[in-house]
Amino acid sequence: MVKATLRGGLCAGLMMAALSSASAQVLEIGMDAGPTGLDPHLITAFPSFMVVNGNIYEGLTAVDKDLKVGPGLAESWTVSPDGKTYTFKLRQNVKFHDGAAMTADDVVSTIRRVQSKDMASPLASRLAAVETATAVDPQTVELKLKEPSAPLLASIATIAIVPKSVETNKDALQKAPVGTGPFKFQEWQPNGFILLSKHDGYWGAGSPKLSGLKFNIVPESATRQVGLTNGQYALLPNIDAATALQLKGKPGVKLGETLDLAYTLIGLNTSKPPFDNPKVREAVNYAINRQEIVDAALFGAGVPGGPLSPALKNWAVDVAQFACYKPDPAKAQALLKEAGVAMPVAVTMNVLPRQDVKDIAQVVQEQLNKAGFKVELKNQEQGQFIQDWRNSNFDMFASINAGSPDPDDYFYRTFRTGGSTNVFKYSDAEIDKLLDGARTMQDQAARKAAYDEVQKKLACSGPVAHLAYGTLFSAMRDKLQGYDVMPNRSLGTLRGASLTP
Amino acid sequence: MNRALLTRLFDLLIVLFGVSIIVFLMIRMIPGDAVAIMLGANTEITAERMAELKSRVGLDRPIIEQYLIWAGSALRGDLGTSLWTGRPVATEILIHLWPTLELTFLALLFGAGLAVPVGCLMAQLRGGAADVAMRVGAIAGLTIPSFWLGIVLIVVLAQVAPGFASLGYVPFSEDPVGNLQRMLLPSFALALPILANLSRLVRSAMLDALGQDYIRTARAKGVSERRVVYKHALRNALIPFITSVGIMTGYLLGGAIVVEQVFAIPGLGRLILGAIAERNYPLIQSTILVVTAGFVLVNFIVDALYIVIDPRVRA
Repeated sequence: MVKATLRGGLCAGLMMAALSSASAQVLEIGMDAGPTGLDPHLITAFPSFMVVNGNIYEGLTAVDKDLKVGPGLAESWTVSPDGKTYTFKLRQNVKFHDGAAMTADDVVSTIRRVQSKDMASPLASRLAAVETATAVDPQTVELKLKEPSAPLLASIATIAIVPKSVETNKDALQKAPVGTGPFKFQEWQPNGFILLSKHDGYWGAGSPKLSGLKFNIVPESATRQVGLTNGQYALLPNIDAATALQLKGKPGVKLGETLDLAYTLIGLNTSKPPFDNPKVREAVNYAINRQEIVDAALFGAGVPGGPLSPALKNWAVDVAQFACYKPDPAKAQALLKEAGVAMPVAVTMNVLPRQDVKDIAQVVQEQLNKAGFKVELKNQEQGQFIQDWRNSNFDMFASINAGSPDPDDYFYRTFRTGGSTNVFKYSDAEIDKLLDGARTMQDQAARKAAYDEVQKKLACSGPVAHLAYGTLFSAMRDKLQGYDVMPNRSLGTLRGASLTP
Repeated sequence: MNRALLTRLFDLLIVLFGVSIIVFLMIRMIPGDAVAIMLGANTEITAERMAELKSRVGLDRPIIEQYLIWAGSALRGDLGTSLWTGRPVATEILIHLWPTLELTFLALLFGAGLAVPVGCLMAQLRGGAADVAMRVGAIAGLTIPSFWLGIVLIVVLAQVAPGFASLGYVPFSEDPVGNLQRMLLPSFALALPILANLSRLVRSAMLDALGQDYIRTARAKGVSERRVVYKHALRNALIPFITSVGIMTGYLLGGAIVVEQVFAIPGLGRLILGAIAERNYPLIQSTILVVTAGFVLVNFIVDALYIVIDPRVRA
C-alpha cells in the first residue's frame, strides 16, 4: 500500500516535470550563493555580479567574450586629441524597465551617483579620473577628465546606467533593480531564487529569446550537480574543474569553457621579515612548480600564469620569459642562503575558504617545504580572512582574485606605493614610475611596452606569486544554445541564448 | 497553574534579555565587520569610503548606543531592517519561517509519530531477532548525519526517478503536490535521527512500565494484551517521550539548517547562516531572539502537556 502510494506520487511528479518543461522558456540556473543586494553601484561579490551584469544592467561600453571593449549603451564615441574629453553618442530607443527612455541625463546622474560621498560606492575609484559629466543633448554625453586615462573605456563598462530618479535613493535598487538590460527584475525570494523576465522594450533586435532567467540558490555542490543531471536546472555557470569533471559525459549535459580572468595567487607581506627581502620572494617563485599545481589541484584544467591572465591576449607576457617560472628548489635554497635567513624559514599562510584555493595551498605548502621553508596553513573563515587581508596581518596568504580587462585596474591599486589594495605594503620607485606613466599614455604600443616591463619585474620578486589561471567551466543541458562562458564570469551572453525543445 | 505560567513568562523575559546581550556581543566579536565582508578581499576602496559605508549602516556609533537603539525598537515590536537591502527583519523572518515550520512539523510527524508504534513493537518483541534488527537500525539512524543522508537520498532518487523534482521549495498554497513532493526527502532525512532516538526511548520506557505491578494486575484480571500495552503501559511511558519531543523540537532547528542547506530550502536556518556569513547584525540579532522565544515557548507547552497527561503533576 505504502509502495503503491509512493509510486503514484513519483508518477505525478514525473508528469509535472514533463508539463513544466514543455511550457518553459525560462532558464533555470543553479547558483551556489545568492546576492546580498542588486544595486549595481554597491555590490562587488560574484553572485550579485552574475545576476545583474549584462542581464539587468548595461554600461556605456561593454566587454565581449574575448574581453575586447566595444559599444554598449553608447553606440560610438570620440576622444579629444589631448585625451581629456570623451564624447559619447548614445544608442536610440533604449528604454528602462519602467518604460522611461534612457537619455543623457540618466548617464550624467549615474556618474554623479557613483561619485557621491553619500552613496559611498566601492566603484567610485573607477571614475576617479572623471571631473565633470555633462549632457550636451539628449543623445550625447561629454566626460571631462582631470588627466588622460587609458583604462577609462574598460572602467565605464562596469558602471551600470540607472534612471536619474534613483540618484539619491540608496535602498530602492538593492531590492528592486531597474536597468536597461534584456531582462527585468520580477521576484526575489531571499535564499530561494531570483526571477528575471524578458524586457519587451529591449533595444537589441530579436533578443532576448528566453522568456526569463531564474537563479536558484543552491548552496550544496552535490545538490546542484544532481539538479543539472536530472534536468531541474539547465545551467550551472562558472564552476570549477573538479565539478566539471564529475559532470562531463553525463547524458544530456555539455560543458562550455574559457580561460578564467581570475587568478590564484600567493600574497607576500613585504613590510616584515622574511618577505621584506626580495631574494626570499624570488626563492618562493623558484620553489613553486606551477605546472604541478595545475595538474594536482586544477585537474589539468588551467595554465601557469604571470601577473596578467593569458586571456588578456593583447597584454600578457608569455611566462616562458620569466626565469623564476622554471621550478628549481636548489636555486630557491641558494637564494635563501644568500638572503641570510635562518632555514627552514617558518611562515604562516592564511587560506581563503574556497575548495580550489585550499587545494592549491596544500600543494604550494609541500613545494615550499621542499625548498627550505616551513609553511603552516591557517584555514580561515571568510570574514577573518578579509580582516587580516585588509589589515596586512599576514606573512603570506593564498587566495583567488577577479581580474580586469585593463592592466591598470589591477596593477595600479595593487602594486603602486600606497595603492588601495596594496596590502603587501609593496613599494618600488621604478614600478611606481612605470605605472604612473602608463595610465595616461595614449600610444598603445608604448603602453604595452611599459606593462611588459612591469610584468617582468613583478613576476619574480614582486609581492605576489601568481600561480595559475584555471579553465572556467559552465555545465548546461544540451538544449541550451547560444550561451558563451565569459572570462570575467558575466552571464551577459544569455541575451542571445535560447532553449531548443 | 496560573502561578507556574507567570513564573515561566518571567523566565522567558530573562532568557530573552540575556540572549539579546550575548548575541549582540558575540556577533561583534567575530573578526570581520559587515562592511569589510560586503566589500570582500581585493576591492579597491579608500579609507574614507569605508568610513562612509560604516556610517551608512550605523556601525560608526558607540557599541552601547547601537545596542540601546536595537533593543529599544525590539521592545516596541520593531525588529529593525536588514543591513544592505533595507528589508524589514520581521518580513524576512516570516518568509523564511514557513518552510522551516513545515519541515520541522513533518519531521516530527514522521519521527515521533512512527516512534511510538515502533518502540512498542520493539518492547513487545524484546530479545527476538526483529527487536535486534530494529535496534541496530536505530543506532544506524542515530549515527548517520542528516546532511550525508540527505545527499545520498538526492543522488539515489535522481537515479531511480530522474524526473522527480526534489530540490528547492514551492509554497504549499501555490502548489500543494509540488510542495509535498519537495518536502518528502528533507523531512525524512531530518526525521530519521528522531525516529531512532525516540523509538529507543519508547522501548525502554515501555519495558520499564511493562515490568510494573499494575501491569501484572491488569493481565491478571484478564485485560487483553493489546489493551495492556497501548493503554496501561504506554500512557505511563509517554512522559519521558513528551519531554524528549519538546527538547528535540529545539534540536530540529539545528538539524534543519543542515538539511535546508542540502535541499536548497529557503528556511530560517539558511537565513541565520547567511546573516552570520555577511555579518548582517540586525538580521542575526532579531532572528536569534525570535527563535529563542520560540524555543522557550515550546518548552512551556511541554510543561503544560505534563499536566494533561499526568494527573499527579496537577496536585
